[in-house]
Amino acid sequence: MEIPYEVTPRRDTGLYNSKLAVWLFLASEVMLFGGLFSGYVFLRLGIQDGVDNPWPWGLNVHKGYVWLGFINTLVLIGSSVAVVFAWVALKERNWRRFQVLMYGVVACAVAFMCIKSVEYHSKLTQHHGIKLLDNSVMEGKIVDGTDKIRFEADKVSFSLQGALPIFLREMAEDEFPELTLEGEDAEIFTSKGEFSKWFYRSRRETASALATERKRYRSELAEGIKNPSPVSVSTSATVTASKPFKVNGNPRTVIAHSDSAMNYRDGSKVEGSLTSDDVVFEIHEVDMQLVMPTKQRDSIIWEVIGDENAKKEFFTKQAKYYETMRAYYAPRGETIPEKMLRGHKLNLHYVHVGGDHGHDDDHSGESHDDKEHHGEEVHTSESKPSASKLEKDTGHHGTITVPRDKIKFMGNHGPRYGNYYAIYFTMTALHGLHVIGGALVLLYFVVFGKKMFLKNPEHLANRVEVGGLFWHFVDLIWIFLFPIMYLL
Amino acid sequence: MSAVTAEKNEQSHDDHHEHYEPFWKKYIFSTDHKTIGIQYGFTSLVFLAFGFFLMMVMRWSIAYPDRAVPLLADWPWFQAWLDDGGKVTGDLYNMFGAMHGTIMVFLGIVPLAFGAFGNYVTPLQIGAPDMAFPRLNMASYWLYLLGGVLMFVSFFLPSGAAKAGWTNYSPLATTTDIHYGNLFWTGQTQWLMGMVLLISSSLLGAVNFICTIINLRCRGMTWMRMPFFVWAMLVTGFLLLLAFPPLEVAALMQLMDRMAGTSFFVPTGLNVSGMSFDAAGGGSPLLYQHLFWFLAHPEVYVLILPALAIVSEVIPCNTRKPLWGYKTMVYAVMVLGFLAFIVWAHHMYITGMGPAISTFFQTTTVLISVPSVILITSLLISMWGGSIRFTVPMLFATAFIPMFGIGGLTGLPLAFSLADLHLHDTYYVIGHFHYVVAPGTIFGLFAGIYHWYPKITGRMMSTRLGHLHFWPSLIFMNGIFAPMFFQGMAGFHRRAFDGGKAYEQISTQVFSEPNSFLSNICEILHVIEPDAPLRMIDLNIITSGSAWLLAVFQVPFIINLFISAFKGRKVESDNPWDATTLEWATPTPPPHGNFASEPVAYRGPYEYSVPGADSDFSPQFESDPSSLAPAEEQTAKDEATAS
Amino acid sequence: MSEEIHDWGKHKKTYMMVGIALFFFTGLTITLALFPPFDVGAPGPTPGDYVLGLMVATIKASLVALIFMHLNHERGLIYKMLIFTVLFCVALMALTLFAGFDPILEQYETLQTTDGYLMEKK
Repeated sequence: MEIPYEVTPRRDTGLYNSKLAVWLFLASEVMLFGGLFSGYVFLRLGIQDGVDNPWPWGLNVHKGYVWLGFINTLVLIGSSVAVVFAWVALKERNWRRFQVLMYGVVACAVAFMCIKSVEYHSKLTQHHGIKLLDNSVMEGKIVDGTDKIRFEADKVSFSLQGALPIFLREMAEDEFPELTLEGEDAEIFTSKGEFSKWFYRSRRETASALATERKRYRSELAEGIKNPSPVSVSTSATVTASKPFKVNGNPRTVIAHSDSAMNYRDGSKVEGSLTSDDVVFEIHEVDMQLVMPTKQRDSIIWEVIGDENAKKEFFTKQAKYYETMRAYYAPRGETIPEKMLRGHKLNLHYVHVGGDHGHDDDHSGESHDDKEHHGEEVHTSESKPSASKLEKDTGHHGTITVPRDKIKFMGNHGPRYGNYYAIYFTMTALHGLHVIGGALVLLYFVVFGKKMFLKNPEHLANRVEVGGLFWHFVDLIWIFLFPIMYLL
Repeated sequence: MSAVTAEKNEQSHDDHHEHYEPFWKKYIFSTDHKTIGIQYGFTSLVFLAFGFFLMMVMRWSIAYPDRAVPLLADWPWFQAWLDDGGKVTGDLYNMFGAMHGTIMVFLGIVPLAFGAFGNYVTPLQIGAPDMAFPRLNMASYWLYLLGGVLMFVSFFLPSGAAKAGWTNYSPLATTTDIHYGNLFWTGQTQWLMGMVLLISSSLLGAVNFICTIINLRCRGMTWMRMPFFVWAMLVTGFLLLLAFPPLEVAALMQLMDRMAGTSFFVPTGLNVSGMSFDAAGGGSPLLYQHLFWFLAHPEVYVLILPALAIVSEVIPCNTRKPLWGYKTMVYAVMVLGFLAFIVWAHHMYITGMGPAISTFFQTTTVLISVPSVILITSLLISMWGGSIRFTVPMLFATAFIPMFGIGGLTGLPLAFSLADLHLHDTYYVIGHFHYVVAPGTIFGLFAGIYHWYPKITGRMMSTRLGHLHFWPSLIFMNGIFAPMFFQGMAGFHRRAFDGGKAYEQISTQVFSEPNSFLSNICEILHVIEPDAPLRMIDLNIITSGSAWLLAVFQVPFIINLFISAFKGRKVESDNPWDATTLEWATPTPPPHGNFASEPVAYRGPYEYSVPGADSDFSPQFESDPSSLAPAEEQTAKDEATAS
Repeated sequence: MSEEIHDWGKHKKTYMMVGIALFFFTGLTITLALFPPFDVGAPGPTPGDYVLGLMVATIKASLVALIFMHLNHERGLIYKMLIFTVLFCVALMALTLFAGFDPILEQYETLQTTDGYLMEKK
């Protein structure tokens, strides 16, 4: 049995099957990315000023990495051109040229994904932010591991229903202490595997004990007993450790903690003593977009930073930019729009902790080397704005200690950090998946296509045309993604 | 006629089955559109039965909120979700409610209507040897099965299955079961994973269908010679193709919200059980609703169009008359498909939309009833003056029309925001859309099963069992859904797991005075005490009782389905119903590759009782020398206009 | 492809030109974004900048779609399909926005003033 019109186009529609199919598929892709772009526009326009996180400016977010996006655009366009020429090569029955061009395309795809992963890596590990209780934000980098709640535990209680308790996931395998079960049958566990095996067994036992009890209760009810003794089955257990062991509580799974206990979101509770819950932060920028201008000077952020010079620096820069803005609007006879007053230009500035930068900000060529840093740790910032429009900053940054009870929200610049980051990661990751998929298909054509080329070159050319259509579409999406994610 | 088919039969034996295919390749990993259609059919029937079972448990909780669930209370899995006294808990009710909707819509009806009938019948009706992409077809079935299995498995996770309603609105869906350690293995997340798989499956299917219909029509099968069923499949395919991606976006975004902690749908300052929800905020729950309903309204037409199409195949065949207004119906279905994309926000009137935009959506919603009414009216007129054979498929098809009519007409008040504000989320809405999809779509699908069964198996289904299936089903379907209109208008909320018992003033309203006709019947049925009025809340018992009885009367159908395949009366010819469309030209059952010789369509699809013809039906596949436009000429003309 | 004899040289030239144009426009985009003299309106991102940036992107996208994807000479069927797709896509975006920003007004005002910022403004 043969399916008609696989290679030759049907006369009345003028299309062969796979070309029709790929256009249909692309139509659904248009709706897919259309939905995402709608989401982008809706979320961006839907921001309530002063309430929701402001939408960051692409150039501010990517700083030194804008050029990576730019290169990626060039790489994709180059690959798109190569696909067209590879198809032409097939049409001219030139296998060698086709092969070279197609491997070029796949190489472009690999390069694209590599560059992308550099970008992701920098966002996920190099950039963090902390929002304090009054909505002032510090941008910088959390020193490794200090976002965790460091805890020395010697006793854990948890439920015997539901999934494995969370604390197990937050301690290393080699740190597993000897855990002794409290109660009559004092079992001892020496490894995670042993513990989870026991957990699943006793979860089953608890369930069946509960079932028996309930059956008893129901039958007593059915017999007409007014108030049968209620169902009572112990559904929790406690284990104690022979020696205290370390647990690093992830702030997303710990719902509350004190000096002596830590409560997880699944209801389990770790007891012992708190080692430290301070967040050590290498501060780069202060962002006041969510703080009213009148309250900016009394913001708790200055208390947390504890450096008068940094505060002075921030407001000097703000005043300076205010002047630039006035210089733009005043000659036009306009007042500075509300949106501008709240925007990042006025309210997002580099600050230097542990140095004196308040006055000489005008000199871009100033030297930081001879500054005193009061013995604090000093790091060189890895992120520089590439554009001349952005403020040039080559300074050093000191670290500060942020008490956890002043923090409203913190995290890396991952998808969780805000709607911009969320949609940036979702869309670029989805686009990345398309790149990988497309590249695999094109790779298949060039690796296994020789046989078909010899037998029916037109069939292979059709396939490459169809694969190429998809590839161009992936390019087309990126053409829009680049400006809206990186530049605007 | 019979000579021709006999000859074809012989040919088919020569042409096909010459190479041996192993069992797993022929029946399990098959690329034959007919096998895949049957696979779709069985899987979806199983899921329909499962969804029905969930609903029966829910109905127990509604009818008898203070009694232990019978039969199931000792079953270990249920134990965990029932309370100490064996009663249904709110959690269980929510879980079953959410999954009933999901399973019925995405795992039951769409696969049965589009996957099973579409797959089996469409290529046959257009004279194609198979779908355009047989392997893609197989992939789409297996993706569907995988999605279904994920949904099913989620019941047995510690968190249970999804509980946030079949619409899965955020932020409720984002925050449900958020306290579990591993969020991936919670029912709510698995629902999203399952949906992503199901959507991908539907997209592949839609591409395949459209491509097949456009490019694989046989010689002479011009656009206007395609049976209405194929037209409906084409429009359904486009609905799936273009409406599903936004839901995929919504599912991906919600997945990100749950797994990566993003806040696409999480507003600033959200509190969950008294604690501030740890997310950046700034998202919009309304965005989810828009993306969801952008799919879910066209989805309604995905549910109804295949059933309507089946009915419009069954009716001309059994009235021995052409389909009235074939062209009008074709254009109506296209307009319907177009309008389906711009009416979605009528599901969202109470989200605080302004007057301007709700006027827009009211207008389009009212407009869309025009093509719907054209379709129904055409079917009704098709029966006028025909010599109707009341075969079992015809019974279901006939019942479809008023049932779908009730469902459609009760939707009109919901189209207006003013009335909708009162009726939103009450049992009225439940009654409305269930009339469309339960006695409507499902009756249409039953008609299809009875109609094409002889082609699939070569044996007829039992008429007696068919009657035993049809009449009680008709009665109990109405027994379930008619009371819901009254309850809904009285203000019964759809999500109350105690059936509205907590709302005394609403639920104890008198529906019928003591000793009236209705009350007397209910007294005999032990629904109410002697001399007591029939209250609104007592209707719950009627509804639930009807639901359980409906389940009982599906047993004849199941027996019929299995027994007839072996014991049923053998068909005498390849065309037992004397129908006109191309699927009846194939050998019975059709072999791999379908047609014994290349099929040609010589005429329109519904030429019944043509004046001057020898018999009362002139099949598309029989050439007629006196025909005004021979196939070749017509094809040439078509090609000229196309290019 | 129904035409059997094809002048591929001519096509190749077109493709090359389009490729160069795409590179050029990419350079243009980033120039417009990075260098202050090209900043439309007030300093920083303003609606003018968005329009300009998206216009360049649209030109690039049309070049890809028309030349590389052969939409400049495609079958009618595909145009019909794509027209409806684009229509529905625009409807999704426009109607969602319209519905989002056509709320019942008074309620919207009170919502906004729940935070201190705008309260201060009044």
